[in-house]
Amino acid sequence: MKLLKKKDKVPEYIAVTPANKKYAVRNPFSEELRINGHKQDIKIFEDEGFTVIEFNNKKYVAEIIEKNQNKYTVLLNGLSYTFTIESPISYKRRKYLEKFKQVNKTETIIAPMPGKVVELLVEENTKVKEGEPILILEAMKMQNEIIAVVAGKIKKIHVKPGDSVSKDEVLMEIER
Amino acid sequence: MKIKSLLIANRGEIAVRITDTAKKMGLKVYGIKTAKEPNALYLRQVDDVIDFSESFDEIPEFLDVERILTAAKKCRADAIHPGYGFLSENPYFAKRCEEEKIIFIGPSASAIYKMGNKTIAKQIAQKHNLPLLQGSQGNVKDPREAIDIADKIGYPVILKAAAGGGGRGMRIVEKASYMEKMFKMAAGESEKAFNDASLFIEKYVRNPRHVEFQILGDRHGNYIHLGERECSVQRKHQKLIEESPSPALDAKLREQMGIAAIKMAEAVDYFSAGTVEFLLDADRNFFFMEMNTRIQVEHPVTEMVSGIDLIEWQIRIAEGQKLTMQQTDIKLLGWSIECRINAEDVQAGFSPNLGIIEKVSFPKGKNIRVDTGITDYSVITPYFDSMVAKLIVHAETREKAIANAIMALRKVWIRGIKTTIPFCLAVLHNKKFRKGDFNTSFIEKEMSKLYYQEEDDEMLAAYVAAFDFAAELETTKSSKPDFERGKSISPWVLNKRLKSI
Repeated sequence: MKLLKKKDKVPEYIAVTPANKKYAVRNPFSEELRINGHKQDIKIFEDEGFTVIEFNNKKYVAEIIEKNQNKYTVLLNGLSYTFTIESPISYKRRKYLEKFKQVNKTETIIAPMPGKVVELLVEENTKVKEGEPILILEAMKMQNEIIAVVAGKIKKIHVKPGDSVSKDEVLMEIER
Repeated sequence: MKIKSLLIANRGEIAVRITDTAKKMGLKVYGIKTAKEPNALYLRQVDDVIDFSESFDEIPEFLDVERILTAAKKCRADAIHPGYGFLSENPYFAKRCEEEKIIFIGPSASAIYKMGNKTIAKQIAQKHNLPLLQGSQGNVKDPREAIDIADKIGYPVILKAAAGGGGRGMRIVEKASYMEKMFKMAAGESEKAFNDASLFIEKYVRNPRHVEFQILGDRHGNYIHLGERECSVQRKHQKLIEESPSPALDAKLREQMGIAAIKMAEAVDYFSAGTVEFLLDADRNFFFMEMNTRIQVEHPVTEMVSGIDLIEWQIRIAEGQKLTMQQTDIKLLGWSIECRINAEDVQAGFSPNLGIIEKVSFPKGKNIRVDTGITDYSVITPYFDSMVAKLIVHAETREKAIANAIMALRKVWIRGIKTTIPFCLAVLHNKKFRKGDFNTSFIEKEMSKLYYQEEDDEMLAAYVAAFDFAAELETTKSSKPDFERGKSISPWVLNKRLKSI
């Protein structure tokens, strides 16, 4: 068994973004706060019911909008960010496991908003270019073109004209 | 006739806005309460509430002509202000008000009808020699006829709903082979939105600016214009940031366009406040588009530069008063910008972001105006449009107005929903926008990212998440019995406690 190095005893929290960017936060409660090894001067406080962050003489409003175990969605200045919080050990394990993950060749097209399918512009097995309209979805009285996010072949169509779909419902699958 | 009481047949920020002026003028103000929004802010501002919340009728509350008229008669309101949207441009409603001897705050039913029908409006414009884009003389029957016309005037062309507005029922056609599909889409959308599938066609100007003129006319044939509003920052034909004046106009062009706008109003014996919309091409040729016969969302920028309360004048004109100012009295000072704050998620294609506003705080200041219909605990429902507030700033120059707007937007704090503020900030930071060099395709062409983000934002967000996670972990570790389990405890409170241990 490997001996713990001294620095491992200091708790460290690694916030990992979906794009695998990591922010290693050390000493989150003290003035010795370090993020990715750099000393940072960030203050968190409450101001009239808002969570406010002060950094570089600027104020930012923050809000934790979703939290599920170690998965977080934080709203900062009106934009949301998603992170998974890992410890140094679990982060290593995660990196290791990722090597074995299969490369997913199928891209799913999901409904960006609830609405009604008006028209399908492609059929199964149609080849599409990236950015090509593939379906028309009516939402909020507007007809919206849903486009192919990747180039490829339409593998499967899950809806038909007239169907009502909810947000995030799978519309089609494209095989790269 | 002096108006002593007013029923507002609208909701949201415009109901609050109208109430403010009406109360200042000493009017008794009635608001309509709906079951969809029983705790809305506007209901707290009005003097008396008319309750429509008990029955859910087939017709939406603010579109129910007879129900509104019955309510107005019952409370003996002298007048009805329709705001924008809903019944504001419905000639039948204006006519019914007249029949019931209730003053409709707006122009005559006939002016609404003529300007509301884009085909008739264009015929009137043509008769009065206003510059117009080439296109169909009236509606087009089918894609075949549309192709014939397009062949004559040249592609690209645009199909538009004759009863249209707000960008719905509009399609650009680049070549003949797309006509059939686009015709179907535009007609379908138009049928759904306006109950009228008729379309007309006109030459499509690439990358035009959208410049509109605010006019005021009384019932005695006097007219003035209050300058223009630049509304070119649009996404899918929806205006998002407006300003007055327009960086594209000079005094000479302003005068020419102002005269044209007034000519249009005179042609239909227009009274009340109205807006004449023009397209301005790259060579600064302007073309009449349409006239809006209501108060517009973006009216505050005109109020900021002109110092004139447009709602007050709508009411005074409705009473039969004469305009007390002439064109030469109108001095437009400084620069004003309006940012629309919508409950939309800019990171998810501007999809509506419904929910409860847990807390909201707006900036205050001499050159800052916030028109809003929300407050703490307001609910954003799917029943109405997504606009929650308008932030309007004023300054001596455009540069300073942009700086003010950025500063003020950073002080708009809203907890509970996502809004279009990051989008507004992205526009205000954009180099071309700052130079005044933009047109209606600006968002599509010039903005690769639709929201503003600073370099360290992600890091700060990561810190917030790590901080909260660490704080929770520390409490779980502590050997003390956790009496507060099940209750959510704020991490910031937790932090204080941890420090005190």
